[in-house]
Amino acid sequence: MKDINIEERVVSDHKVKITARGVQVHYGTTHALKDVDVDILSGTVTAFIGPSGCGKSTFLRCLNRMNDTVSSARVSGSILLDGEDIYDKRVDPVQLRAKVGMVFQKPNPFPKSIYDNVAYGPKIHGLTRSKAELDAIVESSLKKAALWNEVKDRLAAPGTGLSGGQQQRLCIARAIATSPEVLLMDEPCSALDPIATAQVEELIDELRSQFSVVIVTHSMQQAARVSQRTAFFHLGHLVEYGETGQVFTTPKDPRTESYITGRIG
Amino acid sequence: MTDASSAAPALPNRVHSILTESADMRRRNAAEGRFKLYGMAAIAVSFIVLGIMLWTIFSDGLSGFQQAKLTFPVTLTAETLDPKGNKNRDEMAKVTTVGYGKVLAASFKAELAARNIPTDGVTEKELVEIISKDAPGGLRARVLADPSLLGQTIEMTMLATGRIDGYLKGRVTMQTAERDGNVSPAQLQFADLLIDAGILKTGFNREFLTNPDASDQRPEAAGLGVAILGSAYMMLLVLIMCVPVGVAASIYLEEFAPKNRWTDLVEVNISNLAAVPSIVFGILGLAIFINFMGLPQSSSVVGALVISLMTLPTIIIATRASIRAVPPSIRDAALGIGASKMQTVFHHVLPLAMPGILTGTILGLASALGETAPLLLIGMVAFVDNYPSAPVEGFFDPATALPVQVYSWASRSDPAFIERSSAAIIVLLVFLVIMNVTAIILRRKFERRW
Amino acid sequence: MTVLFLVAIVLALAVVGYVVARGRALSSVKGNVRELHSLPGYYGWHGFIMASLPALALLSVWLIVQPMVLERTVATLMPTETTADQTAFKLAVADIRRLAAGLDVAVAQGAMTEEEARSLNSESSNVRDTLAGVGVALGSDVSPETLLAAQEYRVKSATGTLWRMIAVIAVAVAGLAYAVSVTNAAFRARNRVEKVVLALLIASASVAILTTIGIIWSMLSESINFFRQYPVFDFFFGLTWSPNFRGGSELGFLPLLWGTLYITAVSMVVSVPLGMFTAIYLAEYASPRARAWIKPVIEVIAGIPTVVFGLFALITVGPFLRDWFAQPLGLGNSGSSVMTAGIVIGILNIPFISSLADDIINAVPQSLRDGSYGLGATKSETIKQVVLPAALPGIVGAILLAASRAIGETMVVTMGAGAAAKLDLNPFEAMTTMTVKIVGQLTGDTDFASPETLVAFALGMTLFVITLGLNIIALMIVRKYREQYE
Repeated sequence: MKDINIEERVVSDHKVKITARGVQVHYGTTHALKDVDVDILSGTVTAFIGPSGCGKSTFLRCLNRMNDTVSSARVSGSILLDGEDIYDKRVDPVQLRAKVGMVFQKPNPFPKSIYDNVAYGPKIHGLTRSKAELDAIVESSLKKAALWNEVKDRLAAPGTGLSGGQQQRLCIARAIATSPEVLLMDEPCSALDPIATAQVEELIDELRSQFSVVIVTHSMQQAARVSQRTAFFHLGHLVEYGETGQVFTTPKDPRTESYITGRIG
Repeated sequence: MTDASSAAPALPNRVHSILTESADMRRRNAAEGRFKLYGMAAIAVSFIVLGIMLWTIFSDGLSGFQQAKLTFPVTLTAETLDPKGNKNRDEMAKVTTVGYGKVLAASFKAELAARNIPTDGVTEKELVEIISKDAPGGLRARVLADPSLLGQTIEMTMLATGRIDGYLKGRVTMQTAERDGNVSPAQLQFADLLIDAGILKTGFNREFLTNPDASDQRPEAAGLGVAILGSAYMMLLVLIMCVPVGVAASIYLEEFAPKNRWTDLVEVNISNLAAVPSIVFGILGLAIFINFMGLPQSSSVVGALVISLMTLPTIIIATRASIRAVPPSIRDAALGIGASKMQTVFHHVLPLAMPGILTGTILGLASALGETAPLLLIGMVAFVDNYPSAPVEGFFDPATALPVQVYSWASRSDPAFIERSSAAIIVLLVFLVIMNVTAIILRRKFERRW
Repeated sequence: MTVLFLVAIVLALAVVGYVVARGRALSSVKGNVRELHSLPGYYGWHGFIMASLPALALLSVWLIVQPMVLERTVATLMPTETTADQTAFKLAVADIRRLAAGLDVAVAQGAMTEEEARSLNSESSNVRDTLAGVGVALGSDVSPETLLAAQEYRVKSATGTLWRMIAVIAVAVAGLAYAVSVTNAAFRARNRVEKVVLALLIASASVAILTTIGIIWSMLSESINFFRQYPVFDFFFGLTWSPNFRGGSELGFLPLLWGTLYITAVSMVVSVPLGMFTAIYLAEYASPRARAWIKPVIEVIAGIPTVVFGLFALITVGPFLRDWFAQPLGLGNSGSSVMTAGIVIGILNIPFISSLADDIINAVPQSLRDGSYGLGATKSETIKQVVLPAALPGIVGAILLAASRAIGETMVVTMGAGAAAKLDLNPFEAMTTMTVKIVGQLTGDTDFASPETLVAFALGMTLFVITLGLNIIALMIVRKYREQYE
């Protein structure tokens, strides 16, 4: 089983994948996100940084409409995926999420076997016709998540029995098994130790060749290490967005500079 | 859109725009809709059943608060009721209800004659049977209480027999009367005449709430008096016995109990007792309180003991929850200024937990009020037509309870008792609603957030 | 009444103890409270406790022991053939008690003097008529032995009561004196009082254990009596249940077990899907506002007494099933049936299952749902493939608890299932359960020596063991499940 579709997409490098304009988010009476404009490119790792509560995770969750599951959240403005408004009435968020996958802060493997964890997405989306196809997807996803060698002998073991770093890579494998076009990662390393973090970061860099990756992170070092583009959020505003090197070395906004040099945080 | 997907190769939905719904997605959304529908259907079933149940009970039972009554002047002939003519109460007591029945029958016939109501088609016996068999007893008690009534003619209102009552409420019809040995169509036709004459009419049935139970032949006279009194006695005793023990046990388990085997054993016991079938508590009551300790059968005190043991786990669970809800900072504050552990608990924790304990207690009592099975085993289902006396002695007198009365009426053959049974449920439900609403109001009023 | 009077005296002494001990504590420091070890009130409470607690404890012990001792004394006055037979003995003792009480009433009402009551003999006067005159009805004429025993019983119990009063008051006074004597400024009254309070708290907590012991002891002892008269094997493996109070009963347990399990199975078929779907809808789909009014309505069902459901089965569900299903299908014409009872118990159990399952589903971490939604799963897919499997152990526990409730349910089956013990497959046939038979054998006139009555205790014991087993397993599963997510 070859990832033909995915490889085809790699050709169109650095095309704009997601366009967000004037995005506002309210949670009940709290105004969590104010007027955010961002273009996310394909084949790129985009990092969202900023102090806690700045709205970066909120914005990430807008990109695959995970905010829909929070009943008090209201989103306005437009977010286009390949030119199509994902908040359009006709859009089924379920179908959207198959294209825009997500990996969460805390590893959350399902209480099922490793195999079933990875096979879950392909199964519900009806991506495979036979057991052999499914096996192939599971294997390739685990390989892409750099987990295959560690688990290939115990695919039937429960996913919850793995170590933290392995669990998070399993969650990544689970997310890429549905062949998404965009992969959203919400602080994927915050619950991991440094060695596991290094492994996941390395993995993110490799994933860039096939997916557009958006990563929310607390750690500026991590943003600098893995991303090509960086967006800095502060108090619900998008303060600065640009090439990672530029944002870190010559920030245009004084707030960005203060944050990077450790004065706000 | 759909044709595109059917033509697509290996992974059909990948080429799809998110703005259109793929065939696969349509199937999945349909499954989603069905699943949600099952959930709503399940809830609807509960609602419908609840609705049907309440509707049946109210439609059967509300008429129980109305009762067919006969009103006509009764001449208390002294010759029959006081043969010696000396108005001595003890001598008069020798005249049984049969004698009073004769007086009633004579007055009834006299009234019919006076009003020119034709009695043809109805035999003399059938005529008299229209008056409830309970009426002579009531008259006798009234005359014995006031012998000066002798010789007078008084306007009296008395119960009509159960079948006539049923006829007025639509339960008995001409068709059923033909097949019924206890009433004839002629009597029903005659009842119509009585209604026209204003002798027979339905009125509010106050006696239903105050009368004691009555035998199978007199459903019209059966009331809830003893049952309400018995239930009230039991609830009072449960309150006195169960709440202090429950609260004390909760305080110990929450605040003092060391983590050891004994505490574990107590905890396991409480959670298991909460799930033991109620009838087992009835067996316990029968074997220990009645057979071993020799407490009187059918008495409120035994009922209350059994129900207390059953309610104890509920009260303990509620009390512990509200004690646990008191934040540790309050304990620390009290301990920090040198209060003993005991003082902290009784001066600070307990008052703060009180509203929760109160609510839990009321809810526990509400469920105790409806408990039936264990009471059957300790003899509260027995026919009791004497009111228990006042406390404390009254706690040891035979009594019955509201839910048990519901059961015993439901198991009698006369359909008139189904009306009584449903009406008793209405009374029971009114008490339950009052208790629950009180609990809700208390909870709202004292709701505290830390 | 004399017991109450005695309690009142003891409490009065206790109040005196409070006042005196508190006063003494205060006077020992000449009113300077700071020099006392504890607050003055604690010295008072110490006096109160010392005066009342030992005395009341003695009183309760006395109340239990005196009748036992009296019974034994009376036994010596009765013919040996009566004392040899347990039942006859119990009946005779009850007769003696009634007669003695009757004599008391007669004396109290002035129908006879104390002297007469003691010297009465059955040849010279008709005791039964005399007592009937004061409103005490006796079942039969009084035999000379019974009269003699009753007179002896009266005298002995009067003496006992007198001594009881003396002893209790003496203990109360002694306690009071002790409390007052130890009271001085250095005495640690608070610690002592708190120790007593703690002991009371522990005693209260132990009531739960006493209850369990009481349940087991009461059922075990009578069950053993039963199995002495009826073979264990015939009870547990007998296929026929036909009690006969004239003897020669067949008391096979299997038809009752079958009825119980059949009805429980029907009820589970009703309550598990309905309860689960209700819980799923409430936990996953309902908006907070919908939840806020649906949940209380469902809980109303849980608050309705079971006897109401029994009546519902009897007058609504039973006739409905008979007229619309059983008769048209030719499956019988009984209103009481396995179906009637099973369906109604099922409905009764819906709120029980739904509220337990609701809690369990809510305990599944949101992160698992997010993970599934993040992969593009629909809500129902998430529930079916992630939430429910994760909640499975808890749900199994809840279902076991519901099954144990269905097995132990009494009123609905008493009113809706029928009384015929049968081994039959037809669900529209009336069958009966263990609980129905417990009620049946133990209400009305019961003779605690015959196996027909005692069998109820064996049934109760079996029921207790079955439900206890289910509960323990269920609680273990639920507890383990909770730990998994805490």
